[in-house]
Amino acid sequence: MPIEILRENVRTAHQELARSINGHADHPLHQQRTAALDAFLEQGVPTTRHEEWKYTNVLPFIGIEYAMTLCTTCFITDAECARTIGPIADALESGWRIVLINGRIDRAHSSIPEHVPGLRILPLTDATIAADARIAGVVGSNAPAQSHPFVAMNLALADQGVVIHVDANVRLERPIHIACIADTRTSHRLSTPRIVVVAEQGSSFDVVESHHTIGDMTALDVTVAEVSVAANAHVRYHKVIDDGESMRHIGSTSADVARDGSFTAHTASLGGAFVRNDAAVRLCEPSSQGFLFGTSVLQGHEYADNHTTVDHCVPHCHSEELYKGIYDGSSVGVFNGKIYVRPQAQKTTAYQSSHAILLSERAQMNSKPQLEIWADDVKCSHGATTGQLDEDAVFYLQSRGIDAAKARALMTYAFVAEVIERIELPSLRQHLEERIAEKLGAEPFAE
Amino acid sequence: MTPILSIQQLTAGIEDREILKGIDLVVNPGEVHAIMGPNGSGKSTLASVLAGREDYAVSGGSVTFMGKDLLDMSPEERAREGMFLAFQYPIEIPGVSTANFLKTAVSELRKHRGLDPLEPAQFLALMREKMKLVEMDSSFLNRSLNQGFSGGEKKRNEIFQMAMLEPTLSVLDETDSGLDIDALRIVAGGVNALRSSNNATVVITHYQRLLDYIVPDVVHVLWNGRIVRSGDASLALELEKRGYDWIKNEASVEA
Repeated sequence: MPIEILRENVRTAHQELARSINGHADHPLHQQRTAALDAFLEQGVPTTRHEEWKYTNVLPFIGIEYAMTLCTTCFITDAECARTIGPIADALESGWRIVLINGRIDRAHSSIPEHVPGLRILPLTDATIAADARIAGVVGSNAPAQSHPFVAMNLALADQGVVIHVDANVRLERPIHIACIADTRTSHRLSTPRIVVVAEQGSSFDVVESHHTIGDMTALDVTVAEVSVAANAHVRYHKVIDDGESMRHIGSTSADVARDGSFTAHTASLGGAFVRNDAAVRLCEPSSQGFLFGTSVLQGHEYADNHTTVDHCVPHCHSEELYKGIYDGSSVGVFNGKIYVRPQAQKTTAYQSSHAILLSERAQMNSKPQLEIWADDVKCSHGATTGQLDEDAVFYLQSRGIDAAKARALMTYAFVAEVIERIELPSLRQHLEERIAEKLGAEPFAE
Repeated sequence: MTPILSIQQLTAGIEDREILKGIDLVVNPGEVHAIMGPNGSGKSTLASVLAGREDYAVSGGSVTFMGKDLLDMSPEERAREGMFLAFQYPIEIPGVSTANFLKTAVSELRKHRGLDPLEPAQFLALMREKMKLVEMDSSFLNRSLNQGFSGGEKKRNEIFQMAMLEPTLSVLDETDSGLDIDALRIVAGGVNALRSSNNATVVITHYQRLLDYIVPDVVHVLWNGRIVRSGDASLALELEKRGYDWIKNEASVEA
């Protein structure tokens, strides 16, 4: 009865959270937690009979006894932290870093910018939400708790996540790095980081969310990021999952975009036993734009599922989706892309494509575009391909003196590079180029 | 004088079908050989076998390249040893720029020869110099290899690569097919500029036209998997005048 165990454990963890906030159960955040708990209990844990989880079986790791409550003995040294998040943190050269350990802000390992004009970084607590109606209004505003049990579970247990608030017309020079670490050295652990991003009118900035484990026991990392993009604001949200076999990640990144604003999400799935990413953008006012990009480079028994939703609510909006993956070994990829064009959303342009290369006979890719178009004056397209590497092209490169392994690396790398090149943050782009090259087993280009 | 290429009694085919039925050919330094023949005579098979395409199985005979057993080498080893095949149908490789591809290929070759990689500035200068040879615009360098290139551009790109890799033996597989007269002149001009007393060229063609521009020392006629006649450049002109039928008839009588 793994599902019942999980439900009971979440319910217990929620009650403990209520006790810890000391009689403030009537605070708005806690009321949302309680509503979310009900939504979670009502939906239950999805099985593969559920359309949204058709290819994605969570049951194998749902019955594990996870520790869920605040870990008072989890102590991570500076060296351990640096070793874990170092590669990406160093590459970003940002210095603005928020470290969440088991879903909660850890100030000791963070380096939170304190005096940057127009930038506020706050813990997501009952007090924060009670004090700021603008931030409170974003929590639960676009992440689909009613239709996604894990999004509901995240909110039911959300505590001490992160709020990023950027004032009108502020352009941040550096990316804000959010590193989520699960400590699984002494127990299996469920962590539920909640991230709230508010971009006021005309602001522009980058966020990088990365996920890590310390320890060999199982981490179930259920992360939800909600973004509110005000008029003419531009937010680029990058998510990197490049971890080991302990990691099971279920994440949701969603945004509402106002007039002339844009939201770009890029998800890189480069490792982890199980990765499910839901990326959603709702274009709420005319001339808003949404871009969803994804790269998966998997091998062994790795698994990555990208579910996307683009909701065109009004006329004159534009969206683009490009997902590319390389699957070796027995790895499995899923792409499920939904586009809604509402009846009033005339003059919509919406383009979606998903392409995969399978390097082994055991690797698998499942693609499902789902377009629902209710307006009649729109331009929408979708394309999904799955294929093997072109062996004639490999021979062509060999005939120029490049060995077969390097030729394959060069071509597979070039295949995903089309997505990586779209990343506007140079430090992250370079880091991902290097990591992908490393994972493909050869330096794709001569120095 | 050691020949650059020596083929003896080479037989090869695809699946169960034998296409090459005993080829003998010796190419010495400084020479240009033309291999002509009607469609289906085995010309492109010979080019593919020399480059090491796996689809073709060699069933007998030997190929010696610069004193080494060519058939024993992988395609990339052949290239590093100085063999170059200009493809009849150059492959499009999306996402790999011509410049990055050549940088990688040239580095592999230099490594094989015990040389350090070229400095980026040196390499760029080399590319610019060699591009002039085939009148290619430098904007091609940053475009994906052959992607969206016209037929003539692809063939010029093959000769550009040949110029960059400086092979000992170049095999041009129907490089002239589909080219208009201007492109043909440019391609042939590139090939002629690269000729020296230390290298050799094998031109595989269906048409005599190319040989007005690249004048061969020896012309061979390939028919039904065998070289049925060899001669000097005048043989090509005779073929042009009389067609292939008289060769076929004579060969059938001899067989």
